[in-house]
Amino acid sequence: MSDSPVHSSNYGPNYGPIDSPIYGLMAEFDSAQELVTAAHKTYAAGYQQIDAYSPFPIEGLAEAIGFHKNRVPLVVLIGGLIGGISAYALQYWVAAITYPVNVGGRPYHSWPSFIIVTFELTILFAGISSAVGMLALNGLPMPYHPVFNVPEFAKASENKFFLVVFSSDPKYDAAGTRSFLNGLAPRMIAEVPS
Amino acid sequence: MTTATGKAKLTKSDLMAPPVAQTMQQRSLVIGVIGAAASVAGAFLVPGSFYSAYLIGFMFWLGLSLGCMAILMLYHLVGGAWGTVIRRILESGMMTLPLMFVLFIPILLNLPKLYSWARPGLLADPKTDPKILEIAHSYLNFNGILVRYILYFVIWYGMAYFLNRWSTEQDSTAGQSTLRFRAMSSIGLVVYSLTISFAVIDWVMSLQARWISTIYGLLFIAGEALSAFCFCVVIESILGKRKPISEYLTDTEVHDHGKFMLTFVMVWAYFNFSQWLIIWAGNLPEEIPWYVHRMNGGWEYVGLFLVVFHFAVPFALLLSRQLKRKARTLVWLASWLIFMRIIDIWWHIEPASHPALHISWVHFTIIAGIGGLWMAYFFHNLRSRPLLPVNAPQTLRLLEPTHE
Repeated sequence: MSDSPVHSSNYGPNYGPIDSPIYGLMAEFDSAQELVTAAHKTYAAGYQQIDAYSPFPIEGLAEAIGFHKNRVPLVVLIGGLIGGISAYALQYWVAAITYPVNVGGRPYHSWPSFIIVTFELTILFAGISSAVGMLALNGLPMPYHPVFNVPEFAKASENKFFLVVFSSDPKYDAAGTRSFLNGLAPRMIAEVPS
Repeated sequence: MTTATGKAKLTKSDLMAPPVAQTMQQRSLVIGVIGAAASVAGAFLVPGSFYSAYLIGFMFWLGLSLGCMAILMLYHLVGGAWGTVIRRILESGMMTLPLMFVLFIPILLNLPKLYSWARPGLLADPKTDPKILEIAHSYLNFNGILVRYILYFVIWYGMAYFLNRWSTEQDSTAGQSTLRFRAMSSIGLVVYSLTISFAVIDWVMSLQARWISTIYGLLFIAGEALSAFCFCVVIESILGKRKPISEYLTDTEVHDHGKFMLTFVMVWAYFNFSQWLIIWAGNLPEEIPWYVHRMNGGWEYVGLFLVVFHFAVPFALLLSRQLKRKARTLVWLASWLIFMRIIDIWWHIEPASHPALHISWVHFTIIAGIGGLWMAYFFHNLRSRPLLPVNAPQTLRLLEPTHE
């Protein structure tokens, strides 16, 4: 398993309200199953700004915290289109406009021979876009994140499972949210300072 | 899925095919018999159309059997829940090979109707290209075709038979090693790609005896795999609404099948384009006739139709995650691609016999006739065993709760 916890965010670069002294409330669980159940209940209770952390990817967890779509596919599509169009345009410009060379009597604009490079650059740009787009949409690299202010959180990359309700959630209130999380029977609850 | 909800409690009898499979089998058989009878009549009424139409029908349905076998072998090698849920569908599909073995006999007995190299008149003509005489003497002749036809089917059916028999044995005995499946499949995929290449050289490429393309077998391999995945999606959408498949088939597996469809749509286009580009770039008199035949007399529109509706549109649609995740939406595209597979094979075979765009009613009766018999055989196979190999380790994993 990787050293850093797997991070399933339900909204973009997830930094929360830095102006508030409290980032959110964190609950710790013993198993993946408990975390998924707790996430389901929390989302069903109306909390929207929540996040979950686990040492390994858990199927269904992203859906449990209300995370259904991300914009990486769109970034990949745009990247691929840019790659393909620029590859074709480059070849057309070279072969038909700037340095036209007669090859066996074929037309300067011989599209079949342009397809391979167009295809390859589409793949290349789409591939790079997916990696860069994923990092950008996750707000990475992120040198500081409030959740690490809770010492127990180090276990998120070992054997513990965490759920965080952000203070930016409209339904958030320190006492009410704490008693709600208590009802989910976590191992512990901690306030996360910003 | 968050909990097991009693999934692991499914027993052998719970996993048998639903009654609709029996209905489908009976209807398929009726369609098959009517189609076959009409096609036999067609052999006498429209002999000029019959033989190439028969070869199209044969190649399409054979491709489905072999595609099922190849995907099954791929599954045994790489594993994954996507394959566990369709494993019995694939096994039932490949076990239709005996039917295809019998259905080749009409082609075998009428080689001169289809292949110029088998026509005695042409071979006796002093003006005939000596190269054709050499090919007809050494490789493409009745005895060669007969021996190789038997060899191909013995190899294919041999591999299919053992994979299928071991799978049945898994149902009665728990805790068996899966090593023999993997061993057979690793050799099997290599053997399949070689034998199918030789088979399509014998049966399809030799329609234009002087023409050679080294990628030709791969065009059919990609197409057969695509047919098989589309077929599985169609079957899982028919049976998937009912128990037992509704108990274990999730959107995740359907999504995987959609991804495979996208892959093979792309592979098909990639191989076809490779062949086209090399022949276009070379522009040699012995290579271009194949495309000259297929880009004149109305066939060019079929070719264009293939580019757009066998590749471009399905490719664009299959990029959509929503479409791929639901069997009820994916099945429309899968059915369409099965239709396009037939168009593709028509475009491969028919222009060799008919320079101008040609289709007749016998094309439809043959597709329906062979197809009906094939489907009846398929459903018969499918109904004989549980829809999941109950003791296979992959099945136990599939029915386990998701989170430990």
